[in-house]
Amino acid sequence: MSASRILWFAASILVGLCLVAIWQLAADARLVSPVFLPGPDKAWAALERGIASGELLDKLLGTVGRMVWGWLLASLLGIGVGALIGISPAARAWLGPTLEFLRPLPASAIVPVAIAFLGLSEGMVLAVIGFGALWPMLLATVHGFAAVEPRLYEVSRALGLSRWEVIGKIALPNALPDIFAGLRLGLTVALILAVVGEMLASREGLGLWILLSARAFRAPDLFAGVILLGLVGFASALLLSAVERRALRWRLPPG
Amino acid sequence: MDSLALPTCEPLIRFCGVALTLGGRRILDPIALDIGRGEFVCVVGPSGCGKTTLLRLIAGLYLPTEGQVLYGGKPVAGPRQDIAIVFQDYGKALLPWRTASGNVSLALEALGTPRAQRPARIAALLAKVGLAQHADKFPGQLSGGMQQRLQIARCLAQEPSVLLMDEPFGALDAMTRQALQDEVLGLAASSGATVFFVTHDLEEAIYLGDRVVALKPNPGRVADMFEVRLPRPRDQLATREHPEFLRLRRTLFDFIKEAEA
Ligand SMILES: Nc1ncnc2c1ncn2[C@@H]1O[C@H](COP(=O)(O)OP(=O)(O)OP(=O)(O)O)[C@@H](O)[C@H]1O
Ligand SMILES: [Mg+2]
Repeated sequence: MSASRILWFAASILVGLCLVAIWQLAADARLVSPVFLPGPDKAWAALERGIASGELLDKLLGTVGRMVWGWLLASLLGIGVGALIGISPAARAWLGPTLEFLRPLPASAIVPVAIAFLGLSEGMVLAVIGFGALWPMLLATVHGFAAVEPRLYEVSRALGLSRWEVIGKIALPNALPDIFAGLRLGLTVALILAVVGEMLASREGLGLWILLSARAFRAPDLFAGVILLGLVGFASALLLSAVERRALRWRLPPG
Repeated sequence: MDSLALPTCEPLIRFCGVALTLGGRRILDPIALDIGRGEFVCVVGPSGCGKTTLLRLIAGLYLPTEGQVLYGGKPVAGPRQDIAIVFQDYGKALLPWRTASGNVSLALEALGTPRAQRPARIAALLAKVGLAQHADKFPGQLSGGMQQRLQIARCLAQEPSVLLMDEPFGALDAMTRQALQDEVLGLAASSGATVFFVTHDLEEAIYLGDRVVALKPNPGRVADMFEVRLPRPRDQLATREHPEFLRLRRTLFDFIKEAEA
């Protein structure tokens, strides 16, 4: 890390700490009733309690599991179908209009459909996550596959690469930067839909925990759940960035 | 080379009345051109006269609308692995996500070279074009001249009988260009490959070629051919000062000026 990056990092931490301090001051001054807004000290205590008892950890694992599985499902489908569409004009012609129809549908609109088919089950939640997180991945993959430098196709013909080699060695790596952008977006969508799905289908997880805490006026527990959710989003994005930096290191400046 | 396969008088590449129409436009009028095995043929002509098109016909990237391109006596039906192409835009012809080694490896992978044999071959090829120190760099980290060297190494990995080069040094500075000219001459001599070399630069054509083919535009056709009777190996100073070089240069300059008038 360069000196300026360390400085920026320190500054961003400082901003975060300031916000927490303001939150604490606001809570201590009782600007909002403590029934709705506990201070960070109370939220932190609730978080510690929940983790110590193992209760919050269970919820955390439930939500993370749902998010990851739904996201993987969407990624596999999105990249697979996207590659197919990107590589084959016929597939584009056949599937294109259907996809254009489905794409703008908000994930919430298909929740009733999913419930009708799958009930208030784990499968329903996964289906909703998969559907919602699919689009960024699919569109990014299609774009990445379609944007292959034509010269590279000529190179592959001159070298005598097989069709599968062209897909795996030219088109896919070419689409990778786009795919990573899609994966990142999809991850966010997956977390949101995991929480919403839990609330709707009453599956064990942070989303349900937050909902129930709110209903029972257990504000510190509610905030503990929100903090955990934030951490999940933050950590997963960080992890993905690390993988991306490694996979796309050819795009880094020289050195 | 396999001297038994063909009598030496038979050309390796033969254009038999090859004409090309693309999108209703006549690009090439019927062309007759023979290229001998091991010959170094340079092609010059004003922009848009069909030099690249001619090269693509040999490569099998275009198929003629009339006539045939014969390769070893058989019609060219598509690209083949023993004909390698060095593209002008090296920046676009390399895989940016693969290192120098990886880019050379691509050709070996296409050939089905066993994985165990690849590293040694790659190292030898990179050494041959002077990139041994840069095996692990990505194309984005290499200079233009190095990228073009890398593309040449990838083509050599194909062990081609024919090397097609489309203005390969057009975008390079004079020093790099001269160094690469001599490298290509060395590689062609040591491999015995037939070279078809497109260039804008008349002096480059004379310096490199056994023969210079001059094209005329609208539609593209062969205007004239010039035998280059200069001793080999060529030398950047001696060859360029040779009276025959100067005479040819004069002839070609006059010819091109006339064609463009
Ligand atoms: N795919 C194509 N479709 C239609 N016209 C084409 C196509 N490719 C080339 N042409 C036309 O054919 C002519 C010859 O093109 P070509 O690229 O062979 O010229 P060139 O001699 O290589 O020119 P330059 O020196 O600028 O590279 C040009 O007029 C060009 O517009
Ligand atoms: Mg050209």
